[in-house]
Amino acid sequence: MFLENYGFLIVAIVQQALLGMSLWYPLMAGQLSLASIGFYSMGGYIAAIMGTSPAFAAWREALGPALYPVEWLIALAASALLGLAVGIPALRLRGIYLALATIAFVQVLNVVVLVLDVTGGAVGLFGIPQPFESRLGYLWFFGPLLAVMLIFSARLTRTVAGRSFMAIREDELAAQAMGIPTTFEKVRAFVIGCGLAGVVGAMSAPFLNTWNARQSSFDASVACLAYVLIGGARSVWGPLLGAALLVALPEVLRPLKDARLIMNGIVLVVACIYLPQGIAGLLASLRRREVA
Amino acid sequence: MRSFIILLAGLFLANTALAEPVGSPIPVGIAVGQTTNVALFGEEQVNGAKVAEKLLNEKGGVGGTPIRLAFQDTGGDEAGAINAFQNLISRDKVVAIIGPTLSQQAFAANPIANQAKVPVVGPSNTAKGIAQIGEYVSRISAPMTLVAPNALKRALKLNPNVKNVAVVYAQDDAFNVSETGIFQEAIKGMGLNITTIQKTSVKDTDFTTQVTAILGAGVDMVVMSCLAADGGNMVKQLRQLGYEGLIVGGNGFNSPNMYPVCGQECTGVIVAQAYSPKADNAENKAFSAAFKDMFKKDPAQFSAQAYTSVKVVVDALNEVEKSSGKKIAEMDTAELRTALNAAIVSSSYDTPLGEIVLDADGEITQKTFYVSQIKVADDGKTGTMELLPE
Repeated sequence: MFLENYGFLIVAIVQQALLGMSLWYPLMAGQLSLASIGFYSMGGYIAAIMGTSPAFAAWREALGPALYPVEWLIALAASALLGLAVGIPALRLRGIYLALATIAFVQVLNVVVLVLDVTGGAVGLFGIPQPFESRLGYLWFFGPLLAVMLIFSARLTRTVAGRSFMAIREDELAAQAMGIPTTFEKVRAFVIGCGLAGVVGAMSAPFLNTWNARQSSFDASVACLAYVLIGGARSVWGPLLGAALLVALPEVLRPLKDARLIMNGIVLVVACIYLPQGIAGLLASLRRREVA
Repeated sequence: MRSFIILLAGLFLANTALAEPVGSPIPVGIAVGQTTNVALFGEEQVNGAKVAEKLLNEKGGVGGTPIRLAFQDTGGDEAGAINAFQNLISRDKVVAIIGPTLSQQAFAANPIANQAKVPVVGPSNTAKGIAQIGEYVSRISAPMTLVAPNALKRALKLNPNVKNVAVVYAQDDAFNVSETGIFQEAIKGMGLNITTIQKTSVKDTDFTTQVTAILGAGVDMVVMSCLAADGGNMVKQLRQLGYEGLIVGGNGFNSPNMYPVCGQECTGVIVAQAYSPKADNAENKAFSAAFKDMFKKDPAQFSAQAYTSVKVVVDALNEVEKSSGKKIAEMDTAELRTALNAAIVSSSYDTPLGEIVLDADGEITQKTFYVSQIKVADDGKTGTMELLPE
């Protein structure tokens, strides 16, 4: 009963957490990028087109369920390549200018999908083939990906690359002075995020049954950023905690009707004022106090 | 670990629930957008559904058993629609779902209801392919194929000398893109020239570029597929910059929310409608009187369509009760849902929209359409849709 009711919600939390994580990598290198949602949208379109277009009928026939991993790989490759192309010029910008440039990139992508025929224009694509009967089944897609990404992130913080990211975040000039190739590292962090967003998009298209330009709205970008900031930008667990809170809250508060959006807003404001390090930061400080 | 396994087993057993009776009152789900910018339409739908609940229960509901509407807000996105549907199906145990508001949400959520074998009636989904989502999906909102050409014909009656036409549409809205396609075909079919096509976006507020292009093209008629806010602004700017010819609006103009946006400038705009509060049939008279009584204003098309959806479900429930000889409240929910879906399709209904027929696919055939002219009152904020004579 519980799983039947909340299956979709549970998977949605994991899915949004992964999306938040794609924003977490550039943030780890101190780059405020909102481009993730654009790559998410692109990955989704790749999966939706491969799942519905007559041009890919032969592929679907030949590959069967193996089509899904193929979609992920193509989405990963496409997102990483485009991420590289966007990242190299865009990452010369700093702070708010980078955020603006990435927002512009997402808007351009949106206009492109609205005018193309292959993306279904404003209606988008629908009737995407489903690998699972129940929504909960999609945990087989997102669950392992989340596990892999969590392990990857935890390992990353201990490698040279990860430490370089964090050095850039703390002080870019100092990092450069120490011989860290800052542009290279920033692009690397950005591309990891882009690739992840693309794969999450490719997994999400069948999960939502339909894909359209509204998947990459500005609101969605901001929501992603909120997951990371509320959860804690400095912890591996941040995006997951943030997504769990912000995705579940409006659903759990459903009986409150209109007031639930107000509650959501209040939680955001309170978290911003009192939890500068996010929920993960709060948990860490609690543990420190316990030890002391 | 052991207790965890027991818990899981318990959950599994709970899932394979035994036959459950429908119960009284009969729950009918309404999943429309009550928050975000879709709420503009969703609220009108909620109002229409509430009138239906009151009016149909007063008439005895389903063979004496009242119905109860279970509302779930879908918000404006796909995930919200899926969640709302899921809640209605497994928690509220509704016999049928009416919704969602947007076609794009329908593409996401309807397959879920279809899989669970719960009938869905779309009150306002006009995109191509909705009724084809599955066996359990039907809709009572007519695609614009028939509505749009009517408005053009009536406009030509007002000014037979029209030759050159400008077409405007909001390129980022699914409904407007499909509507303009139908308009453009109809314009060409009538032997008129499309001199210029201008694209806008539903969030635009400044239309100087488009208006200049239209004025430069020297057209006698402008045909617009936009929503209430952007369409209203566009009309206002067209008139203010000196355009004096005919303006024909699509279904997006079909909302009282237009009037305060464009004020007096909207007077005279011709609108194609699937519903008119002035429609002359018994069902509509009862509905619009009850609506006025409850909300102190004329019902909008979205309200009428929501009312119609509830009525379709209730009529079909009555049909099931009659043909099976069993009380609906005592029937098994899953069994009833299947029987109800069979009763909904391939039937005709008397509704405020006039007589409608749902074919075996769940696609609507509507007999009557309306063409009205907007008339904004002196205060510039309220107005009426005056039916144009046949």
